[in-house]
Amino acid sequence: MKDELFTMASEIPGLSPEARARWQQEMERSLLRMKHFAEMVGSPREPAVGPTPRQEIYRTNKSRLYRYQSPRTRRTPLLFVPNLGISRPYIFDLMPQGSFVEHMTQQGFDFYLVDWGVFGEEDNGLTVEDAVTKILPRLARKALESSGASEMSVLGYCMGAPLSACFVATHPEFPVKNYINMAGPIDFAHVGLFGLWLDPRFFDVDKYVDTLGSVPPDMVKAGFKLLKPTMDLSAGLNLWWNLWNAEYVAGFNALNKWANEYVAFPGEFFRQWVKEFYQANRLVKGELVMGGKRVDLKRITCPVLAVGAREDNIAPPGCVKPLIDAVGSADREYVELPGGHISLIAGRGASVHCWPKVASWLAARS
Amino acid sequence: MPDMGAQQLFDLWKKQVEEGTQQWLKMMGTPQGQTLDPQAFWRPFMDQGMAAWAKVMTQGTASPDLMGQWKQFLDQWIAAWGKALEQAMGTEAFGRVLGKQLEGFLDAASPAKKAAEQHIEAMLGGLGIPSRSQVTGIARQIVQLEEKLEGVEDRLEAVLQRLNEVAAALKQAPA
Repeated sequence: MKDELFTMASEIPGLSPEARARWQQEMERSLLRMKHFAEMVGSPREPAVGPTPRQEIYRTNKSRLYRYQSPRTRRTPLLFVPNLGISRPYIFDLMPQGSFVEHMTQQGFDFYLVDWGVFGEEDNGLTVEDAVTKILPRLARKALESSGASEMSVLGYCMGAPLSACFVATHPEFPVKNYINMAGPIDFAHVGLFGLWLDPRFFDVDKYVDTLGSVPPDMVKAGFKLLKPTMDLSAGLNLWWNLWNAEYVAGFNALNKWANEYVAFPGEFFRQWVKEFYQANRLVKGELVMGGKRVDLKRITCPVLAVGAREDNIAPPGCVKPLIDAVGSADREYVELPGGHISLIAGRGASVHCWPKVASWLAARS
Repeated sequence: MPDMGAQQLFDLWKKQVEEGTQQWLKMMGTPQGQTLDPQAFWRPFMDQGMAAWAKVMTQGTASPDLMGQWKQFLDQWIAAWGKALEQAMGTEAFGRVLGKQLEGFLDAASPAKKAAEQHIEAMLGGLGIPSRSQVTGIARQIVQLEEKLEGVEDRLEAVLQRLNEVAAALKQAPA
């Protein structure tokens, strides 16, 4: 069939040799598109994610601490704190040659990942304060013990950034060597559409949590889909366009699996998160209290790097950058990189812009 | 004339997009201090589309580049709609509508959820099967138990550390 199509293309009258070659390429791609589409629909395969070997170091309730295999040539290990709820953390180790974890471990960092886990109805009483004052200190301590190091770098991504910033600011006894905020909201006055939708004039978080008990995955999904309603259309169009490319299709399948696996928020966590962070903006104002201690970001005195993504509509640069002015560090830097909230840390763009920047900044201080 | 027919269709579609957007934005309300230009977002992709269309009509021979141009046109079309939607969703009017929708859902969901839970609980109780709330209660107790164990572990670790410090101090002390 392929040969027949090529013959047909060569028989189109008035075609230049260049145009004929382009037609030939286009037909070949169309055939590959059909083949890959048939495979996706006819025999869909579960994409393999999380390729970097890892070991479970500790578990508490639903949360896990993982250590990834690496040559460990850097002295200071790295603790990675992602978001709690919303999505699964395998996006950071999605596939070979497309993994932040793989990049950092190849650079010699002893890499620890906090996986908050998937919380159930029995965890609806868990608060932000519990995460910051009970779970995170325990996991951080276990990571430090496991590494045998005397100091540790902490990297918070998305919601993991304000959570880890609260932890670092309220636990001066924990030896933090460096702190990185990657696309994490700090000043919630500039947090974009979510800030508007969760405004107390329009959103009654008490009624929400009292009625539903938690934020179910479908609600989380609805919220994020609403944030960018054309995302699926755009992703579908790009898939069709690149469907001939097996590598693109494999990447799409892995990312699509992650993008459709939403995780619920425990009810009390969501109540505190919305009220104190989104609605009252207490973190940057220095009015937040965790475990009886005021969260004073000025108490973060280690070197700090904040990374904002130019097209981020979940944590726009305007809400990430204020960390730099809020901390008490002398060595502090803010960088704004191309990409959105996810493409900052996952995908081809991330491997070019973000990963090398984070690795080199840390390497110079580890 | 096929190109005349296509042009008419395109003009009609353009008009519909423009009118529909104006109506839609009017309905949503304009944010304070911000003037929206409903024509601004569609003009670039419309121009692109028109250029691609004109090329097809005049070229005579179909080129595979047309596919690329069509993809580019669709990308811009999606981006433009995305921008327009973002503008509209960033208004207080939208926030209010969204809040009201959610409140309506919660008002409807609350009694229905409660009634369903009571009904299922009674039914499972009658069959001697533990209900969801009972299973959740047990799971919650396990979580609390784990927390208590961790507390004990922490205290033991602190005691061990203190003992090690004392032992080290004793070793160093003169006999």
